[in-house]
This record gives sequence, C-alpha cells and structure tokens, in this order.
Amino acid sequence: MRDSFDAVIIGAGHNGLTLGAYLARSGLDVVVLERRHEEGGGLCTEEVTRSGFLHNMHANYHTFVDLAPPVRDLDVRGHGIEYIRPEVQMASVFDDGTAITIHTDLEKTKASLARFSEEDAETFGRLHAEAHGFIDLLLGTLMYQPPLSVKELTKALSTFGVQDRSEFLSVKLRTESINQFLDQHFKHPKVKAHLAFHGAVCGYTNDVKGLAIGYPLLVGKIDNWHLCLGGSHRLAHALWRDLAQHGGVMVVDADVTKILVEDGRAVGVRLADGTEIAARKLVASTVSAEQTFLEFLDSSVVGEELSQKVKTKIKHKDWTLFSVHAAMTRLPEYTAAEFDPDVNRAWVVNLGIESLEQLNADWTSIRAGKLVDPRPNAAINSLYDPTDAPEGFYTGLLRQFAPFAPEDGGEAAWSEMGRWYGRKCLEAWRRYAPNLDEGAFLDWAVFTPQDIARKLPNMIRGDWMMGEISLDNMLDQRPLPELGQYRTPVERLYMAGSTQHPHGFITFGPGYNALQVIAEDLGIDAWWQNV
Amino acid sequence: MSEYDAIVIGAGHNGLCCAAYLQRAGLSTAVIERRHEEGGGINTEEPVLAGYRFNMHANYMEFFDIIPMIPDFDLYGIGLRSFKPENQAGIVFSDGRPPIVLHRKDLLDKTHVSISRYSKADADTWVELQNRTMDFGELLAIGIYNLPDASHVEAQGVLLEAMFSDMGVGAHYATKSPKMVIDEVFESPEMRTLLYRASVEFGAPLDQLGSGAQVLLSLQWMIGNLRGASGGTHSLAKAMTQACYAEGVDLIENRMVEKIIVEDGRAVGVIARGEEIRARKVVASNADVRQTLIDLVGEENLSPLWAKRAKDFRYGPSAVLATPVFCLREAPDYKSARWDADINKTFYTVVGYDQPEDVARYVRDAHSGRIPEPAAGTWINSLWDPSQAPPGRHSASGWYFFPKASYYTPEQWAEIRATYNDRFIARWGEFAPNMTRDNVIADRLYTPDEQEVKNLMWEGDCLVGEMTPDQSGANRPFPEGSSHRMEIQGLYLCGPSSYPGGGAHAAPGYQTAKVILDDLGIPAPIPEGRAY
Amino acid sequence: MPDIYTSDWYEAVREAINARVGTLKSVPDGAFVVKIEIVGDGASPYVAAGDERHFLINIEQGACAWYREVDGDEEGIRLDYRFRGSATVFDEVAAGLSDPIDAALHGTVKVRGDMRFLMRQAELVKVLLEAYASGVETVWPQGQPPYIAASAINA
Repeated sequence: MRDSFDAVIIGAGHNGLTLGAYLARSGLDVVVLERRHEEGGGLCTEEVTRSGFLHNMHANYHTFVDLAPPVRDLDVRGHGIEYIRPEVQMASVFDDGTAITIHTDLEKTKASLARFSEEDAETFGRLHAEAHGFIDLLLGTLMYQPPLSVKELTKALSTFGVQDRSEFLSVKLRTESINQFLDQHFKHPKVKAHLAFHGAVCGYTNDVKGLAIGYPLLVGKIDNWHLCLGGSHRLAHALWRDLAQHGGVMVVDADVTKILVEDGRAVGVRLADGTEIAARKLVASTVSAEQTFLEFLDSSVVGEELSQKVKTKIKHKDWTLFSVHAAMTRLPEYTAAEFDPDVNRAWVVNLGIESLEQLNADWTSIRAGKLVDPRPNAAINSLYDPTDAPEGFYTGLLRQFAPFAPEDGGEAAWSEMGRWYGRKCLEAWRRYAPNLDEGAFLDWAVFTPQDIARKLPNMIRGDWMMGEISLDNMLDQRPLPELGQYRTPVERLYMAGSTQHPHGFITFGPGYNALQVIAEDLGIDAWWQNV
Repeated sequence: MSEYDAIVIGAGHNGLCCAAYLQRAGLSTAVIERRHEEGGGINTEEPVLAGYRFNMHANYMEFFDIIPMIPDFDLYGIGLRSFKPENQAGIVFSDGRPPIVLHRKDLLDKTHVSISRYSKADADTWVELQNRTMDFGELLAIGIYNLPDASHVEAQGVLLEAMFSDMGVGAHYATKSPKMVIDEVFESPEMRTLLYRASVEFGAPLDQLGSGAQVLLSLQWMIGNLRGASGGTHSLAKAMTQACYAEGVDLIENRMVEKIIVEDGRAVGVIARGEEIRARKVVASNADVRQTLIDLVGEENLSPLWAKRAKDFRYGPSAVLATPVFCLREAPDYKSARWDADINKTFYTVVGYDQPEDVARYVRDAHSGRIPEPAAGTWINSLWDPSQAPPGRHSASGWYFFPKASYYTPEQWAEIRATYNDRFIARWGEFAPNMTRDNVIADRLYTPDEQEVKNLMWEGDCLVGEMTPDQSGANRPFPEGSSHRMEIQGLYLCGPSSYPGGGAHAAPGYQTAKVILDDLGIPAPIPEGRAY
Repeated sequence: MPDIYTSDWYEAVREAINARVGTLKSVPDGAFVVKIEIVGDGASPYVAAGDERHFLINIEQGACAWYREVDGDEEGIRLDYRFRGSATVFDEVAAGLSDPIDAALHGTVKVRGDMRFLMRQAELVKVLLEAYASGVETVWPQGQPPYIAASAINA
C-alpha cells in the first residue's frame, strides 16, 4: 500500500468518509483507514439471521438527509441512494388498545392526537409549525457550522428577541428537562409519553435538565425520518464511491494503533501490523477521544492535564440499546389497529411507554444497572423497503433501552442474559401484537450492549451517540472545551467524528464541520460553501 | 441512470474485474448485484462472535502473483495486502508420526528434510518438480488469461513430455486421474495422502480421468505460492470494488436481475427488481450458464441446441463444499508437531486422514451421496493475521467436501449442521489432543444447501460447474459457448461456468472484457506486450 | 421621502444603515457581500410575477460601502450571505408591517451563509435589519402592503 498521503483519516464511518470525500474533491490525496473489515461504522447492515434478511445493526433512521449539505455536495443520490420517508412515521400503542400515530401529513397527526386531547393536537400543530419555520435557520446555524458557545448562542437569541417571537423557545429552557417542557405545554399523559419517547430514540433523555432547549428543534424532525433502501450501509458505499471517484482510498482491516507526532505536529499513523503511513498535511480522528488521546498518543504529547480530563471528564450516555434482529414470516397485527388502522403501517412503534413517570422510572432503574421489564420499540423496515427481506418475509428490529453494565456481573453478563432478555422483548411485542407467536419468527438474533462495544470500540460502553446529549456536553463543550472546535493540542490533528458537535446519529455534521476548520487552517478554498 | 453501455450481472470477483476493464476502456458500466454486498465467493464475515473473522468461501489466494487486475489497477496501492506463509501445506497423523510440511519455494531445503522422513525419493521428486515449475506463473497466466486451446488435454500432454519425460512422466499422464499420477510419481503413503487431499482441495478431482496433468503443473506451482489476504479474502473484493468506483463503475446492490431483455436476437438490457436497465452495447453475466440462458434469457430466445446444452451443464460432485467455522481459545497443537513444530503453523493443514485410502474413500463417499467420515483441509489465518481473531484467540476454518445439496432435504441438512462439527472436533482431537470441545468457544457449519441460497452455487459446487474434461477447456461450459460469447448477440458469459472455471483468479472476467472489447473494436486497456 | 426601489430610496437606506452602525460599540473587520433576492409573487406590484430583482450589498467595517442591482448572477463576486424571499415579504418589512427577524426565523426569508458569524454579530445584523425596516420613510407609488391575495411563494 502507498505509505504517504496528504490526509490520513482514522475511521470510515460516515463522518470520516464524508470528510475524506470533501478533501479528495478539494484535490488532497486522502486515505481513510478502517479497523473493521467493512466500512461504515454505525452504517452497518448485516445478515445476522438468514441469507437475504438485511439487518441494520446500528443506524436505522436517517433524519437529516434532506438538510445535510454533504448529501447534495457529494451527490449521494447520484451514487445510487434512494431514501423513503414513510407516511406513517411512528406510533405508540398502549395497554388499553389505543394508539397515537405520527404521519408525514400534519393534519393526520393532529387528528390522531386530538382523540386524546384536542388542545394538545392544536398545541402540537403550533409547535410543529414553529419548529419547521425555525428549522432551516437554526439547524443551519447550529448543526452544519462549527459551534458557538451556549453563551454566544443565548446572547444572539436574546439580541434577536427570539423568545418574544416564539411561543415555545425561551431562555429558561436551558434549565429545564424535556419532561418539564412537555408538562408545561401538553395535557394528556399519553401524548407526553409519545413525545418523550421520540426524543429518547434520538438520544435526548427526557429527564435531563437543560435538554429542553433542544427539544423544540427535535419536534421539527418528528416526521422527517428517512429509510435508506437496501440498508443503512448503502450510504457508506455511496460516500466511499465518491471518495474513490475523486482519487481517495479507503482501506479496511487497517487498525491504527498510534498517531505519529514530530515536534508537536501530527505526521502520520502506525497500524497494528507495523505499517507506517505518513500524513503530509493532516490527521483526522473520527473515533473516541479515549482512543485518540489515551491509546494513539503518548501522554508526553497529550499533556497530563488533558490526559486526566479525557480519562475522567468525558461524558458518555448513561444508557444504551439492546436489540433483537428478527427474520419474520408475518407482519405484526396490533390490537390497537382496531382503534387506529394506521398503526399497522407505522415504521417505528413504541410498545407501551404510556407516561412520563413510567419512562422516568425506567431511566432510574437503567442507570442503576437494572434490566427493566421491556417496553421496546419495533421497526419493520420491510414495510417500506421491499428489498430488505426475501419475498414474503420481513426484517424486524426491536430496540430496548438498557444499561451497558448490568448490576449483576457487568457487561460480561450480557453473554448469558442476552438470549433471555431477547425472549422477554419478543414477549413484550406479542402482548401488543398477539399474532407474533413462535411461528412468526424464522430466526432471531440479539445484539447486546456488550456487542456494540466490541463491534465498535469507539462507542465506549455502548455509547451510540459517542457522548452524552446534555447541555454541558453540547456545542463547543463537546466532548471537552479543549476539543470542541475540532482542533486538538497537537498541530494538524483534528477530531472529526461523533464525539464532536453536533453529536452522533447520521447527521454528517461532525465531518462537515471539521472540514470547515481544516479548510481554514490549511487555506483550502471552500468551494462547498453554498450561499 | 437507467442506461449504460455495458451491464454486468453479478458482483462476484469476475464481474468486478470485467466491469473495471470495460469502464476503463470507455464503456459506461453498471454491475448489478443481487446481494447487499459485493464479492460473491470472495467473502469474509464475523458470523458467529464479534471479532472472529472467517473467509466464508475462497481462502487460498494462490493466483495473487499473476492476476492482471492487481497491477493494472494498483490494488496493492489501494489497500490490498497479502502474506505468503513459509509453511504452505501439510498433513498430520493421529498416531503422532512426523508431519509432512511443504514450504514456500525459497525454503525447499526444509521441505526436503520433511518429506525425507518418509522417502528420500519422494523428497527428491518433489523438490525437482518444484524447481522445474518455479517460473510456471507466466505460462499459467498465458493459459488462463487467454481463450482456451481446442485441445488442452493434448497440449498439457505435450508439456508434460517436454518438462518431465526424464522423470518417467509421459504425455499420456494428461489422460490419467490425479490419483494415478500421484501413485506413479510418489511412493510414500504419507505423501500420497497429503497430495490426494490437496488435489481435491485445489480443483483436480482425485479420480477424474483427464485431470492428471494438474498434479504436475498447476498443483506444483500453487503449493509454494499460496497467499492469504490480510484481513480476509474480502479485502480483494474491497480493492476490486474500490477500483471499480474509481473508474466510475456504478455498483447497484440488492437488486436481483430477473430477465435479460432480448430484442431481435440481441441482448439490450436487463430487468432488475421490476425496473428496466438498458445496455447500449453488451450484457455480461457473471451468473452461471444455466441461470443466464434458461432463467434470464429464456428458452424461447434460444436455439434448441443451446437450451439443451445449458440444461445439460452439471454441477458437482467434485467441488461441493461445506464450510465450518470455529472460534478457538487456542490453536491446535498436533501430536505430529513434536517432530516438526512448523506443522502447528502451516497455512493449509490436512487433518483427519491416516492413509491414502482414507482420502479415496472420503471422496467416493461424498460423490455417492454419503456424508464422509470427518476430515478437512483446515486453515487458521489468525496465526499470520491477528486481526482475524480477538487477541490470543483463533479463527479456524476449512472445507468439508460433502455430497451435492440435492442429496438431502433441508431438514436433513439442518440435522447435519447440528451434529457434524462435533464429530469433526472429536476426530481433530485424535490428531491434536488440545482440540477438545472446550477449546471451541463457538462454531457453526455452512452446508451446501446454504451455499445455494447465499451465492446461487447450485448443489453447493464452489467452482460453479463440474470441471470434467467435457466441461473444461474449450468445452466450457460447452463447445459452442467456450469463447464467452453467447448465441444471443451482445451477451457474454463472464463467470466461473465459463473458461477456465472457478477459482480466485478472475480469469473469466478478464478474458470476457478482452473478448467484448475485441468485438467492439476498442483497444483493451492492458499493458503493451503482455502475453495475456 | 423617496419612492420605494428607486436610487434615492436605496441611498436613504444606505445612510440609515451607516448612521445606525455608528452607534455600535464594535464592528467586525473585513468586507462582506450580501445578496438580496426579491422574488415576484403576483401580489406585490413592484416585482412582476416570475421576475426576480437581485441586489448586492457590501458591508465593510460594519458600514455599507456600495450596493448595486445585478442581473441574475453575482458577476463572479464571492457571496457571504444570501437573503431570498418573496416581494411581498420585503415590501411588508419596509412598510413596518412585518418583522424582519420573524421573517428569517420563520423561513419566509431564507438566509444562507456563515451563520456562526451572523449570530456572533447579532447586534450588527439587527441594526442592518432595522435600517431597512424602519430607517427610511417610504413612498409607495403603486400601492402599499398588505396586498390582496399575497401568496407565500416558496422562495
């Protein structure tokens, strides 16, 4: 393999590939090095049950694809990607047989909510309209730019008098949780439960103080979930193709163990097999801060202070995901379909989270290391993607919020408990869709928190957002103030993955924003600036 | 885009190779793949436990030194990496007799010592044959990367005579079976046992008349040149895919081609997942000949002769594989290793046979539909490439040669999957006492019926069509269709059911690209002066 | 009191900008080019339906150094910001009927460019918007908003 490039990028997740493609298009000689045997990181689609059943092992929801500049700049659709925006986006089914359905058609969503509370339906309509109005401006400001500080942001919002111009955005949201926001604006417990559930699936935990400030924006995306036809990993292929077409190289099975530094400047990397690759212009890491600063760099380079901070001050999510991947012979027929037939067509179904109190209690238990009685959510991509399972069959995904390290036995306990907990999750599903008996499943496989950390070691303790979502871990504080603007104390070493602003999920944000900083530093003409 | 100059059906390594050359020559090319990932039989996965990687089909990369696409598209420059183990092939015995280890060609002295324990004559013979075939790569490349000679059995005979007549080998050896040739060239039972299995492993069916030359020609060159792909064989598929991407090939995954559209005797496109994709110039199919002609083209578009030929094409029994995967705590420590520690780190290790008749019976059993007594050609790539298993652990795999898929029902195959590995582990333990059930953290067996589903390799035949003389050389897949050109204008066969057959050499794909470009009057983008 | 969209009116807006900028405690260094795109919506009589009027405005040291109307493209000039909206919205803002910040927040005027810088220079931006919205006494020769059947065109 060639041993010298302009840019060496560690990690071929979507952020690394995105950054690589832009730099390749800018004329740099780029290599993206991936430890695993397949590119994509969280864009991972595998046949873990039977041949022909395509299971998305991590990212299932592509929410920002109509907004993220890279989708347009890198001609993702031209590389063969097709996205579908399911008409019935999400649903909640409840023990009493009722249900809420969220549609791409706002009127239908409001009609569904109105069956629980007309006032809530109207409030939701106004919240949605306001969020939608703000989306372009605020998301453009917040997500696809290197970050402001919280202080700068609130000062700007204050100067512009945003609070006076908005029903839902206010400065005091900085101190409130999503629970408080929902309690303030909505009446019906089931409506609140669904809205909190939606936030949780996005990684925004409803009982965390300060997260309310992000919530109004989140609502703007509540009906914007997109499904990648053929599996999430198709997006990784598209990004790789763009990289390759512009002269870049992506290498799998390339396990970076060291970043080489000379005179305080990053000059290359070394792989596990001893191969050294020189980086003439920059090294960008898209893996965790822990890996980058504690494993890849010597402490003499990092400094004692930063080392300590990386060891002790990085905030990771305090809950993670337990998944069951199912090869199914039939679609679920929900009891609640009698109440609302659209439930059977919902892409993602919340099975039984009925109130904020219930969800809050679950978080408390999960944080203490307990496995709660499952109230998982179920997503059947086959409803909208006929290619992800053989004809007449369906690919199902059950996700349950779970602790990384169960209180009895730590994460190793998952090896024994995985199958049992998976069965419990399937039983939970059956309570809401009684037709899902044994015969409904050809095969199923669990993917435990331990599996997440093993498969993707950059997801420390199964942290699938690569950093907690909380006010003190946002914007220029994420993951640490020293690293919040993508630069590091090592010259020409950048952080460009989901540890950075905005956060994890398929946003393309970290890679795109690191690009801006790199372009500034290296004097690269920002041809992508789409003004 | 729903129109291309060229459409390639199937992203197995032959399809990727063909597409890369066509695109480089200036044809806008799409490869349409049924599965969600490229590579076909070049496939590496972590199917059982995270961190344990296995090559699910092809493993031995003996052709890396001659595959044209590797230098032409700088595959090593874009991430392909390989290793050539010192200890290439070997055999162990359950009574702890010395092993035989056949080494890389720069270490023939060691091989001589190893074989000499059983027969100095065999050692001399092996080393002499190795020396004489040392530079065979170019000859082999000329053979497999060009269209076949009409009379390749005869041609092989002529070559044998020229190269080895002073060793008692005659031209008529080309008409013999590998077993006959091995018996007539080597005297020790131990050497015969190893070579019987090796000939089966590397595509020269033991009892097949007309395949005898391969023992002295291709097997001699391969053993000593075996490479492993670092990270797993799929790094070849990845590098080929990346080369395709860099040229601008459109790789369309997750779409099964249902039909080749024929208009006025010409292939003008395909229908994939209900959608029409047009080909202005050519369609090249990496699918096997029967699927291509009978299912996709349709008998109504074929002459009666071609329809008959396509339906008569046979799959198996000689290369029908089942692949076990074992996640091991520690690598096997063979009894035989006390004589020669090299055997504990030998790339291709034959386990389960103590004498030649064991292999002969094994092959007879598999061919007649009986599940053979457990034995395998094994590999533990993590011994060279630690990335293929967690630290300190090992990923072991190998091949069982099994009966054709149609011999058993799915339920019967499920039963075999549930029980056979245990039997093999027990047998393995007779050769390496540390190979207990406990040493295996997890395992799984992939049976021929599953190969059919996963890769459309009918009957589980990994070479996609029996390699008997009537289906080899200028007869592959049948005489009328042996130049990759099909009777439908603009339709070509670029996969392993055409010449020279299956194997990780990308030869059918490479040849087909040249044939297509020749037919279109476009210069092929290959280096001047190369003989293939 | 100048007629809207006349050169006198443009000059008046520019003076209003520069006067207000003078009151700011600090202004950013450097020069920025803002493009204003006013899209005819069939309601405003000042820009025909299907037509667009484009203006380039240069802000240097916080003040408006020059501006000009341009035909379509940016004539090769590197843009820093683009504000695009229907003519009705621009007219309503000039008439003091619509709040420009509301327009930006609610997406009736689309804003593109380095939003970080824009947020950091919120005071300056506010001043520029105020200058346009209320800095000039405008004459409306063809009628004044609100217009009947003003349609919100997706700008």
